[in-house]
Amino acid sequence: MAARSAISGPALPFRAILWLFAVITVVPFGLLLLTSIKSKPDLLKGAFVLPAYPHFENYLNAWVDGHFSTYFTNSVLVVIPVVLVSTVLGVLTGFAFAYLSFPMKKAVFVVLTIGMMIPTEAFIIPLYYEMLYLNLINTYWALILTQIAMSVPFSTLFMASAMQQLPTEILEAAVLDGATRPQVLRRVIAPLLMPAVSTLALFLFIWTWNEFLLPLILVNDDALRTLPIGMLFFQGKYTINTPVLTAGAVIVISPIVVVYLIFQRKFIEGMTAGATK
Amino acid sequence: MSSSTPQSTLEQAATYQAANARRVKKTRLGQPASILDRAGGSNLIYVLPGLLIYAVFVFVPILAALAVSLTEWNGLGLPSFVGIENYIQLFADDRFYTALGNNAKFIIFYCVVPLIIGVCLAAIITVLRQRERLVLRTLFFLPYVMPTAVLGIIFQWLYNPAFGPFNQFLKAIGLGKIALPWLGDFNFVLPAVGAVATWYFFGFCMVVFLTGMQRIDPQLYDAARVDGAKGWQSFFYITLPSLLPEIRVVLLLTIIASIKSFDLIFTMTRGGPGNATLVPNIYMYQLGFQLNRYGYAAAVAIIGAILVFAVNVAIHQLMRRADRAIH
Repeated sequence: MAARSAISGPALPFRAILWLFAVITVVPFGLLLLTSIKSKPDLLKGAFVLPAYPHFENYLNAWVDGHFSTYFTNSVLVVIPVVLVSTVLGVLTGFAFAYLSFPMKKAVFVVLTIGMMIPTEAFIIPLYYEMLYLNLINTYWALILTQIAMSVPFSTLFMASAMQQLPTEILEAAVLDGATRPQVLRRVIAPLLMPAVSTLALFLFIWTWNEFLLPLILVNDDALRTLPIGMLFFQGKYTINTPVLTAGAVIVISPIVVVYLIFQRKFIEGMTAGATK
Repeated sequence: MSSSTPQSTLEQAATYQAANARRVKKTRLGQPASILDRAGGSNLIYVLPGLLIYAVFVFVPILAALAVSLTEWNGLGLPSFVGIENYIQLFADDRFYTALGNNAKFIIFYCVVPLIIGVCLAAIITVLRQRERLVLRTLFFLPYVMPTAVLGIIFQWLYNPAFGPFNQFLKAIGLGKIALPWLGDFNFVLPAVGAVATWYFFGFCMVVFLTGMQRIDPQLYDAARVDGAKGWQSFFYITLPSLLPEIRVVLLLTIIASIKSFDLIFTMTRGGPGNATLVPNIYMYQLGFQLNRYGYAAAVAIIGAILVFAVNVAIHQLMRRADRAIH
């Protein structure tokens, strides 16, 4: 395409370089999968040797003895409400920022931007004590409420900028036809913005699934740990049982890989759209 | 999660997207609102739910962190106000300077190397056909959606000196002499952790640059070739200058990611051995959650936040100047 005419000739070495980097990217995941189906004796034969037959019992061990079933359930129980509520809040607040006037709109906008730039580390200590005070430490609420709150700035700006790109004529026509605001939002705007809403939901899913600091600090009961934290503590206990450890890692990342591969286009485009506009 | 967590790396993209959203907003904020606007309080129904939860769980804690950083507090009794004492101490604290120095070194691995690899790969990937290019793009981008904490655990195993695949590979190709205990070696631990960050970011950089290159007019390259320009000349005089907006975004995201870095380093080394991979956020964690010096820890965190702001401003300025120099 664009630059093809700039580079002519040495296609083969370039191709080799590109695939070399692709291999470097993928090898850790390949080794992970391979090791997760080995037995401990298999492991001693070398990292790159295939096992005689696949040991899927590693997954069973991780799932049952390693408590990954609990961690998985917890991750799902946190992710679903966070994605649903954050998306709805993003649509509502984004709608307000795109179309409505309210007191101190500019100031509120600045306050949201600040929240987007300040790292969670900067306020995790007061947040911990706030949760302690509210008696929410070691509850799902601690994970759900904080992650919804932290998604508000991004969801708002994301939905507001998507809504601003809608043609105003459509909204005017709907209002002239006598539609109320909730109706316009639900019947006109929401269907038109389905692509943006689903991209937002996708991002929120991955962020929440991958979140590490909040569950590390706000939850210390093993029964409430989400997958990344569970994995950390599992590693502490079972350092020597590499096959089960890698099986656990596969359990943590496979939902993301699946979602990524299904939606990769939407994902990459959503994520890189900003720079090209 | 999202926008402010350091580890959920996708959050960088949030900042990035938001920068774009902000640009759109700026032009609209002043205007009278649309046909959907209503006088009275009913507009608030749309904003209040989101803003309230944000205020309670993000904004109030941010303000509280500022206040805590001006106190001495062990988490049990009442905090006692000490003014800017924590900040004065901090600027005389050798460990804090070590952490900042390590962070500066990490920027090479988080930012400089991935950016260079990314732009080179994006420049040469155009020799491939569309389909192969899409396959590679999907692969290169894969690490970027992964939980960095889990990647840290995986790479800790890959680097294991006794049975880690990385050293086994080195031995297999006859480089057994350099099969070091990577994460236990004072000199090599920082590059070893940094290499994971490079591995994590270069694909993302490449994909961003690839998107930017679609904007470049192919005729520019044809014209350059007619004028006798070599491939590398086209790269330096056409591709690189055209990619300035993308370079800005990538610089911004990766430098900020390095300042915010926590999960990867925490899961791989906890800042060790010694202070060899100590960065401000790890130091903050140690001070707060291990030594119960919450006031001092909050001061470290606030300095980190100020650094993030400063980097934002500096890169915007720098890029504006570069942009002017070109046009």
